Amino acid sequence: MKLARKYNRVNLVTSLIILVLSGAVYYFAIHYILTSKLDNDLKIEEEEIVASTRKYDKLPLPSDFKDQKVTYSELKPGDTLERHFGNTTYYNTDDRESEPGRSLVTTIRAGAKDYSVTITKSSLEAEDLIRFIFLITLGVIVVLLVTLAIINRFVLSSLWRPFYETLKQLKAFNLADKNEFSLQHTQIDEFVELDQSVIAMSRRVRQDYKELKSFTDNASHEMMTPLAVINSKLDTLIQTEALSDRQGELIEDVYLAVNRLTRLNQSLLLLAKIENNLIKDEEDVILDTLIVQKLRQFNELMAAGNLHLIQEMEPQRLYMSKYLADIMLNNLISNAIRHNKPNGEIKVLLHSGKLSVANTGVAKALNSQRAFERFYKDTSSEGTGLGLAITTQICNLYNFKLDYHYQGERHVFSITF
Amino acid sequence: MKILLIEDEEALRDSIITYFTEEGNICETADDYASALTKINLYNYDCIVLDLTLPDGDGMEILRNLKNLHKNDGVLIISARHSLDDKLSGLNLGADDYLVKPFHLSELKARVMAIVRRKSFDGNNFIVFHEISIDGMAMKTMVNQQTVNLTKKEYDLLIYFIANQNKVITKSALAEHLWGDEIDLSDHFDFIYTHIKNLRKKLVEAGCGDYIKSMYGVGYKFGA
Repeated sequence: MKLARKYNRVNLVTSLIILVLSGAVYYFAIHYILTSKLDNDLKIEEEEIVASTRKYDKLPLPSDFKDQKVTYSELKPGDTLERHFGNTTYYNTDDRESEPGRSLVTTIRAGAKDYSVTITKSSLEAEDLIRFIFLITLGVIVVLLVTLAIINRFVLSSLWRPFYETLKQLKAFNLADKNEFSLQHTQIDEFVELDQSVIAMSRRVRQDYKELKSFTDNASHEMMTPLAVINSKLDTLIQTEALSDRQGELIEDVYLAVNRLTRLNQSLLLLAKIENNLIKDEEDVILDTLIVQKLRQFNELMAAGNLHLIQEMEPQRLYMSKYLADIMLNNLISNAIRHNKPNGEIKVLLHSGKLSVANTGVAKALNSQRAFERFYKDTSSEGTGLGLAITTQICNLYNFKLDYHYQGERHVFSITF
Repeated sequence: MKILLIEDEEALRDSIITYFTEEGNICETADDYASALTKINLYNYDCIVLDLTLPDGDGMEILRNLKNLHKNDGVLIISARHSLDDKLSGLNLGADDYLVKPFHLSELKARVMAIVRRKSFDGNNFIVFHEISIDGMAMKTMVNQQTVNLTKKEYDLLIYFIANQNKVITKSALAEHLWGDEIDLSDHFDFIYTHIKNLRKKLVEAGCGDYIKSMYGVGYKFGA
């Protein structure tokens, strides 16, 4: 639930409850005041009747005028009547209709006889007043609620706009690209503060990330020199006379390890470079020709494993770095060869904007989530474990879609351009 | 052959010098920008092996200086930076080749030899080793004036061997040279064996001495 909506709901419900309650209190208060005024009038009338009766020792005439009616009835001896006020109806003779009324029933003694006196007064005016007040209150409630809703809807949403803008930028935040956060134009302190914190945080994160990257970059570069020294010393070592075959084997192992370390380093550097978008030599790459060239390059490797190659190409041009296209194809094809089985098969298809490389191999699907992770490889693999990660990065750079699935005993890697 | 090696890493410098001077080449060294600049101003070299990252300056500046001096020395850049930009700007500034660290000494030697050959014979590059003579322009190999038909890989192998004669060359160096470093052949060295076997057979059949020897299981040595 959106904050504005939640706030709106709470706000409106509370206002409604308070207004209804205050309306009710108001209603009862006015009702009470008007009723006691009516009762007062009735009492004055009673006093007048009592005074007149005392003076003349007889009842005044029953009257019915000006919304007031006085009736008398004789009480049988022994009957007692409690003096009380009550709600009743008043028959308006002018309008010939019943109206709500208020009555006072009391007893009076005149000429040694007890009479009950009923003084009725129309409370129509009071009721009308109450209704009128009630309607005004209701009107105020409605107007107030509508105003609140409008304020909440428009003012709140415009008040919160900077927040949503910042949120949008946060969502789109990517460490690798250089887009800075843009400052929102707002006078609200909280949002200004939020903006400033977000910007400061993003700068700090970027800085840390940059440092980390340049650390990787520098570390990899720095490692190249000692590697070069090891390599050159090994090259010098094998020139010395009379090495035994055993020593030769050991040296070869060292060579292989150095070679692997070098490749690993180069791959890390390459990854950093792609991530930093430092490879910008885009050109028109004729992919089908490039693939045919690559496959020819790998010909001997495939022949060694007695692998059967099936290729179907359609012309396809891509606008990308040829260097990266080369690396991408190298990785896909060399993986298909390396993880194949003897007398296996490799199928390279390029059509309708999709390149797929399918190969036979272990009869078990790879973990498609993890296969693209850095340093993920099975224990038997001689590779650096970075090949697919690099391919993924290249695909991300050019918005290609890299997929893996296992189908019909074939591992299929496909790139949709 | 006169070579200037500009490299600040002492251990690497020593290895390269040992590898190059054994054959009576003159190999001078400079370990920083300043001394390198002095040397290129004073002398001419067949090939300058240049490290781009020097403690007191940028190797690229040396290239610019060479260009300004109108010198025709061959230049091979060796750098830890495997960057296309560096490679291109180096080559644009007149370098002849670019080799990324780490490299095999045999590869360095082969590249230097190729540069020197190109420079010194004005493109007419002939390689002669005993009864073998190679016309680098026509890519033709002859043994005792008889043409031997070599495949591209065998031809490359032979040139590489002659450039590194009497040195033990590792299988991985050969593999990298023949297939490029993009393809990781570390578990497939038997290919090299096949190519070497074929080359050896063709040469011997043409009446050439058997110059290729397998060494300690690590590699091969070419020499009379």
